[in-house]
Amino acid sequence: MGPMKNDYFDKILWLLLGSVLAALAFLLWQGQHREGALAKGGSRAMERELTNQARLMLLQKLYGPVEELRRKGELQSALLKLDELSSQYPGEAHGYILQGEILQQMGVFDAALASYVAGIRLNGAYVDRRSTLSQREALDRLVAEGERSIVPQAKANPDNRTLAKALANLNYLKSRLAGGCE
Amino acid sequence: MDWRDRHFWVVVLAGLALGTLGVLLSVWGNPANSGICVSCFIENSAGALGLHNNTRMQYLRPELIGFLLGALASAVIGREFRARGGSAPLLRLVAGIFLIVGCSVFIGCPIKLLLRLSAGDLTAVAGVAGLVCGVWLGVKGAVKGVELGPQQVERTGNGLVMPFLFLLLLAFLIIRPDFINFSTNGGGTEAAPWLWALASGLLLGALAQRSQFCITGSIRDIFLVGRRSYLHWGLGTFVLSALALNIATGRMHLGMYGQPGAHLEHLWSFLGMALVGWISVLIGGCPFRQVVKAGEGNTDAGLVVVGMFIGGAVTQSWGIAATAAGVSLYGKVAVLAGLAFVLGVSLLFRQREE
Repeated sequence: MGPMKNDYFDKILWLLLGSVLAALAFLLWQGQHREGALAKGGSRAMERELTNQARLMLLQKLYGPVEELRRKGELQSALLKLDELSSQYPGEAHGYILQGEILQQMGVFDAALASYVAGIRLNGAYVDRRSTLSQREALDRLVAEGERSIVPQAKANPDNRTLAKALANLNYLKSRLAGGCE
Repeated sequence: MDWRDRHFWVVVLAGLALGTLGVLLSVWGNPANSGICVSCFIENSAGALGLHNNTRMQYLRPELIGFLLGALASAVIGREFRARGGSAPLLRLVAGIFLIVGCSVFIGCPIKLLLRLSAGDLTAVAGVAGLVCGVWLGVKGAVKGVELGPQQVERTGNGLVMPFLFLLLLAFLIIRPDFINFSTNGGGTEAAPWLWALASGLLLGALAQRSQFCITGSIRDIFLVGRRSYLHWGLGTFVLSALALNIATGRMHLGMYGQPGAHLEHLWSFLGMALVGWISVLIGGCPFRQVVKAGEGNTDAGLVVVGMFIGGAVTQSWGIAATAAGVSLYGKVAVLAGLAFVLGVSLLFRQREE
């Protein structure tokens, strides 16, 4: 069968297709002008920014008392306060990150690592460079300290389960800091 | 090997471009060791379309769009665009889902597997072993009569559906309508400038179409025809160029621990990539090759691509995808379900001698 010529029916189809495409273009052009930012995804970005800001303010309000106790050097009281908050807000990553910071300050290194890991597994924003919650610098220091203290100990005591767990946590943090797809 | 054969040089060029751009796209902004990763790109794009709720993995990756449109342009120019399909289409769609399951449990497609290895990530060795083993099993199956059936020539319009959908994705990427999601933090924000990424994708898509280069295809050909195929030259060039560039740009970190986007559950890395290798032989190409074939008018490959998008959505939504912390129970179950699927297909689609 050779190529067919455009008959009447084809011409009507072409005409209708042209009309529909013109209507579509008009509708998009009108929508762009009427809704402007909406069509460019501005509202979604604004919504996310507002959520982030609101979340940050809520975290500051909730964990403010813990930070205050920490500043005063009352680390045990700060940990107790965190325990209280974690029962009210289970699964909130920020509590684990603060706990990690306090435990690190107290010199309980392996427990600090475990807290940081728990927090980051719940919310990866703490390792993001651009996030307002970013803790990258503190985590870099923590990993460097871990390389000095945990790695040689774990190598010397391969059967020690606590050290093995701490090493696994350290490797997890290293991997997250190294980036890559999630 | 015939040095004067033009096809040989096209294959080598495709491997060189894949290795070079695979590293450069990371240098330009893509996540570490993920300059090119078809499964990651699909997971990101599925998120951008609102198919999953991981807000850290939402971006319409221009490279992915470029692969398909580049292949389309090359096929049209080379007069190789042919609409064809109809070989177990629904099964291929499910196979596409399991391709992404295997990739997400390993964390990466076969291209990323080699990019990870060439950046010194020794955890990828288990994945390489798994991929080779999976391809070998697929080849054994093919030799014993496992095949999904012949394709038929279809009307041209059928072959244009996937290119049209990807053109629509390109329009979404440029216009950024409100219903498309773009991550504001996490891996989805790590991206090379979109025009560079798109140009790289177009070039790689065109070269892959001309050369028919594919990672699993190269391994398959080594098993099937030894050195007579050119594809292993492309594979070698890819790995060597990526290795050289990783060393030159200071991205080579040899070791097992603390690697970006990697975990230490080697058995599951092995099984995940074995699943990918086996399925790839069964359906005629790795995830990258499926995208390229969809651009050539192959509607069966188009359905695999649709399946991969569904796979990208479910692996993220159902917690199947592995993380640096390891592989979840759901991930392990999904890989075993995938292996059960491919074994079942091998049993049901085997042409036995009378």
